[in-house]
Amino acid sequence: MKVTLKVWKQNGKNGQGELKSYESPDVSPDCSFLEMLDLVNNDLESKNQEPIGFDSDCREGICGTCGMVINGVAHGPGHGTATCQLYMRQFKDGDVLTLEPWRATAFPVIKDLVVDRSAFDRIIQAGGYISVGTGAAPDGNAIPVPKENADLAMDAAACIGCGACVASCKNASAMLFVSAKVSHLALLPQGEPERERRVIAMVEQMDKEGFGACTNEGECEAACPKQISISNIARLNREYWRAKLLEQPVRVEKGG
Amino acid sequence: MRVTSILLKVLMAITGLAWFGFSITHLTANFLILKGADAFNGYAEGLAKFGPLLWVAEAGLVLLLLAHVGSAFRVTRMNKVARPQGYVVSQTRGEATLGSRTMAIGGVILLAFLIIHVKMFKFGDWSGGNGLHGLVVRSFKNPLIVGGYVLAMIAFGLHLSHGVASAFQTLGILKPSWRPRLKEIGFFIGWAIAFGFAALPIATFFFV
Repeated sequence: MKVTLKVWKQNGKNGQGELKSYESPDVSPDCSFLEMLDLVNNDLESKNQEPIGFDSDCREGICGTCGMVINGVAHGPGHGTATCQLYMRQFKDGDVLTLEPWRATAFPVIKDLVVDRSAFDRIIQAGGYISVGTGAAPDGNAIPVPKENADLAMDAAACIGCGACVASCKNASAMLFVSAKVSHLALLPQGEPERERRVIAMVEQMDKEGFGACTNEGECEAACPKQISISNIARLNREYWRAKLLEQPVRVEKGG
Repeated sequence: MRVTSILLKVLMAITGLAWFGFSITHLTANFLILKGADAFNGYAEGLAKFGPLLWVAEAGLVLLLLAHVGSAFRVTRMNKVARPQGYVVSQTRGEATLGSRTMAIGGVILLAFLIIHVKMFKFGDWSGGNGLHGLVVRSFKNPLIVGGYVLAMIAFGLHLSHGVASAFQTLGILKPSWRPRLKEIGFFIGWAIAFGFAALPIATFFFV
């Protein structure tokens, strides 16, 4: 099968972008979408033309590196899958596919479909540390965690930080990402000591990076390859105003 | 205190829910129009007897509205800045609704409606016979005014169809098990209230 690609070509964040057309070689329907792009790039390189810039790493849906908007949908037509988990059989012979990068002020384009997602790293950094004992491995069940909370925390921890929530949100909001990270730790005793400080710092960093606010549509949840629930966003909101109500003035201790 | 996007959204949700509550009491009182001039005017005069208390309540409503509009304005601006360049091909996954995509423009229409509405009735000419009831009935015999009201109530229904459920999600005060029903309940209540408001000018136009 063959498809026509209309790919967003852009050099750097200040470059003028435009769509450029490419024809794919004849590929098997069982070829993965990214392999198809590899074949297109092989073709381009053999003709001494510039290949299409796109990001990928593990190619098994666990790293969150790949990601692009395919015909207006983040990660393409699959449900609960990343771009690397798409196969050509999900398209039809002769389809025209428009490929665009995540579009958000906080995710500047590096090249074509590759964007800089380090804003997410800075949000994680702002969250800071958690209080876990280091040293020997702890005894199993030494810290009791209710089964329900363990499940919810695990669901939230499934977030791979791919940025599809931002890409599919009409406001380019990072609320689903931040809510997953905040929920993951707020639900566990290990995250309890820094619970208030963490949520305030992460939300402030999120705003500083230039992400938008949440309209509560749920487009992010539908696009998320890990199917993170927007119930996490409700929890984030609750955690945030709870933390603001409990907030203590920062205590400065004298150095010795 | 740093004003974050979540604080703005929480402010918008609380003020929005307060106005939602007010709109329910307003709608309930409106049905007195159908009962007749004495019942409706009696209610209006009863309210006026509260005097300074009523002014405080009215000033409160204006403040709530200003906070709602102000926070909406800032959040909308923030959202525009977050995505200056849209997608060439744009598609939703079916979660977005007409209501959720028209909150800002719908809000502007509702604000314009509110100003006209208050000027027309609260600060209108009650002396043309039958007091406020007479003024309302005479106004709702004008097809232009009735049409305008119905259009504004469509905007209101759209606004509430997303806004009510969205406010609860923003406050994060409902159990997650409510979430699947929340969207539908908010949609239903929102449109029910808008239909209630729209029914009165239509009923007055044809039947009173």
